[in-house]
Amino acid sequence: MTGNIFQSKSWSPYAAGIVIGLLQIPAFLLIETALGASSSYVTIGALLSGIWDGDLSGNSYLLKHAATTGKNWWQVALVLGIALGAFISMRLSGARRKAISPIWARALGTSRPAARYALAFGAGFLMLFGARIADGCTSGHGLSGVAQLSIGSTVAVAAMFAGGIATALLVLRRI
Amino acid sequence: MSVFSAILIGILMGTVFGFALEKSRVFEPGMIVGQMQLRNFIMLKVFLTAVAVGALVLAVMTSMGWASLHPKGALYVADVIGGLILGAGIALAGACPGTVLAQIGAGYRDALFVLAGGIAGATFYGYLDPVLAPLLKTWDAGKITFADSFGLPYWFLAVLLAVLIGVVLFILEKVSPWRVEMGADVDGDLAP
Repeated sequence: MTGNIFQSKSWSPYAAGIVIGLLQIPAFLLIETALGASSSYVTIGALLSGIWDGDLSGNSYLLKHAATTGKNWWQVALVLGIALGAFISMRLSGARRKAISPIWARALGTSRPAARYALAFGAGFLMLFGARIADGCTSGHGLSGVAQLSIGSTVAVAAMFAGGIATALLVLRRI
Repeated sequence: MSVFSAILIGILMGTVFGFALEKSRVFEPGMIVGQMQLRNFIMLKVFLTAVAVGALVLAVMTSMGWASLHPKGALYVADVIGGLILGAGIALAGACPGTVLAQIGAGYRDALFVLAGGIAGATFYGYLDPVLAPLLKTWDAGKITFADSFGLPYWFLAVLLAVLIGVVLFILEKVSPWRVEMGADVDGDLAP
């Protein structure tokens, strides 16, 4: 732990949580929306689908997310910024990561990268399929929905933790 | 606001978001899986702190008339089924839809597969939306909040929520200090 806070490898979860919570200020004031992440996957998916399905089969859900609006592209920029911010933070602290976290060899009972990559793809698919059914993820329902005291979001977050805890205890091995 | 300004603001906000996620280590698969196996509480600590701060800033902003709330509708069937599937995905991915981007930025290669699977899953839902949406909307309670159902002002319940979270976190930190939860390589890997 040398240098300033930007070079530190870890912050208290409370300091980081305060920074993330304060991001609701520009979200509500400038974009007039709450923090969220999972809609951006539809925007990118619809954009890619447009390559071979030019009119997106007239699907109003996909067309709505693919529209060139500030809110749609703000969220795509937000998630790209997350990768950039994490990269900058990692370079400043030197907390480099291996290709695969060491916990996976224990959680999966195998250290074959192909096994992890296949599961990762399937997990990502489930994660966003579920998030789109629920109309939000850990950010949209979790951070923003619970802070707004939304009843639907609170139910979604409870279901999310229930599904996550059951899967981690029953499907994965103890890390 | 132009789309260009929205993108610029998004990148700036995302960079701050990603920086905080990386510093808190909450994006680590070891933290997410550890949370879901109830061995590590960094995720809950970051999450609840951000919720409490978000509730407080929204209490101020809505009371001053600077912003209005945008709660999502309460579609209980969609919220429960979607939430369960999303949770299962989070446990197996060791990431959330937002934190997977932080994993990519920090150098985890399997996160690229999570991202690709995520785009595929979101697109799959999109094509099924005309069929699924009517089923998912079978129990629609509207955009209700606890403030509406209790008949109390939003700011009051938001402050109450923040205080309650503060008490929970104070106890949680006593039981399980965050520095211990980090692990030797700050990745939540607590194996000897």
